[in-house]
Amino acid sequence: MFPRPHPALVLIVLLLVLWEGYSRLSGVSPLVLPGPSGVVRALIADRAAIGRHGISTLGVAALGFSASVGFAFATSVALHFRPWAARGLIPLFVASQTIPLVALAPLMILWFGFGLLPKVLLVILVTFFPVLLSLLSGYAQVPRDYVDLLASMGARPRLIFRRATLPAARAAFFNGLRISATYAIVATIFAEYAGARRGLGIYILAAKNSFRADLVLAAVVVSAALTLALLGMLHLIDRVTARNPLAGRHA
Amino acid sequence: MLEVIGLDVRAGGAILLEDLTVRLDAPALTCLIGPSGCGKSTLLRWLAGVLPPAHAAAGRLVLDGQPAAVPHPAIGYQPQNDALFPWLTVAENAALGLEVAGLRRPEAMARVTPMLAAFGLDGTAGLFPDALSGGMRQRAAFLRTMATEARWLLLDEPFSALDAVTRIRMQRWLCGRLAVQPRGVLIVTHDLHEATSLADRILVMAGPPGRIVADIPVPLARAARTEAGLAPLRETLKTLLLEDDP
Repeated sequence: MFPRPHPALVLIVLLLVLWEGYSRLSGVSPLVLPGPSGVVRALIADRAAIGRHGISTLGVAALGFSASVGFAFATSVALHFRPWAARGLIPLFVASQTIPLVALAPLMILWFGFGLLPKVLLVILVTFFPVLLSLLSGYAQVPRDYVDLLASMGARPRLIFRRATLPAARAAFFNGLRISATYAIVATIFAEYAGARRGLGIYILAAKNSFRADLVLAAVVVSAALTLALLGMLHLIDRVTARNPLAGRHA
Repeated sequence: MLEVIGLDVRAGGAILLEDLTVRLDAPALTCLIGPSGCGKSTLLRWLAGVLPPAHAAAGRLVLDGQPAAVPHPAIGYQPQNDALFPWLTVAENAALGLEVAGLRRPEAMARVTPMLAAFGLDGTAGLFPDALSGGMRQRAAFLRTMATEARWLLLDEPFSALDAVTRIRMQRWLCGRLAVQPRGVLIVTHDLHEATSLADRILVMAGPPGRIVADIPVPLARAARTEAGLAPLRETLKTLLLEDDP
């Protein structure tokens, strides 16, 4: 018996076969739509450049994402203990999410130049809110009984937060991290696209300007791989740091 | 003795408890019965110091003749659910009360670990609560409360989530445990069988606003209680509970 392949894998292979077939049989120019084999060839041929730009993108995304998670955590703790501040700030944070990246990215470059700062800021702006919201909703999900139990033992609010509220929010926190991680790479590429010296965004812009659809798509493959790597790392951290792997079912 | 004197609890415009006075002896097992919404849990939660902030309460607590404030270290509270933290092991859960009281985790664990066997939890110290049966979870919760200095235990429907057989086993187990480790116990329950077979004394509440309408000692020794012997008492309780029913 062969093991059953993962449905997502089957679907991807099917789509790649259809794409390859269409690009070969339809007569469409490879300059407009190269097949997957053409993209892979371009990726291998230009691997040194794409690798360099990819590492730069990953560095910016990781830095921005880490800073964002740190800020989101600190903010969530402050808002948890100051509900009136949460009521004032949450609508502002929601409004900040409606600003289109297309407008924000060039403004960041304009204000903060072509260095690391504008790109990191953009990643923070994009990824901060989902993490913050997941933490706050995780805190709200702590079973009342857990809080009452500790309060009846004489525990003060800070101890109750540390011993019950925070651990109960773990699953929600990791869900928020996963959502934000997928935005982190995209936001970095967007920032680089608006103006940078290095990174997949500027690589895509240069490839597009030279009508190299194969290189644009090769960069897309790399960005997808980076996002998956980031998600894989989060999964690993989740697994390694979990005290009880089944805890999420009851928390 | 634990005394609650003149307790009023209001939430918004509603009066949940009005001028309620209760005296509990230690060690004795008192069951508090009454229809849903009559304020049984409100009384328990006030004693535990966990009334919601929106509730306004006025009343006095006197412990062994001394005025006391809630929450009080001499009063242990067990919510309806066993409330074992799924991310802590059985021993860590059991040590939680001692930790909150100020002991460091290793000291608290060292204090509760030798007690595991007496609570039927031998060999479970390192397990997570998911791995335990309903009865074992309940015993771990009892250990968490009884490992502290609490001389009074407030139990909110402690056996309601258990199947019938486990419930009877746990009731017997608790009585046995209390014989070894005597405590004043107040159990909120809906189950007349449970109340009549466990209690030294039964308080019947009606409301809202919640008030005690009957205080009935159970005359028979626990070992001498039979279904037939308890039937008249259950009839009395049933009549009292249905009195307000239109």
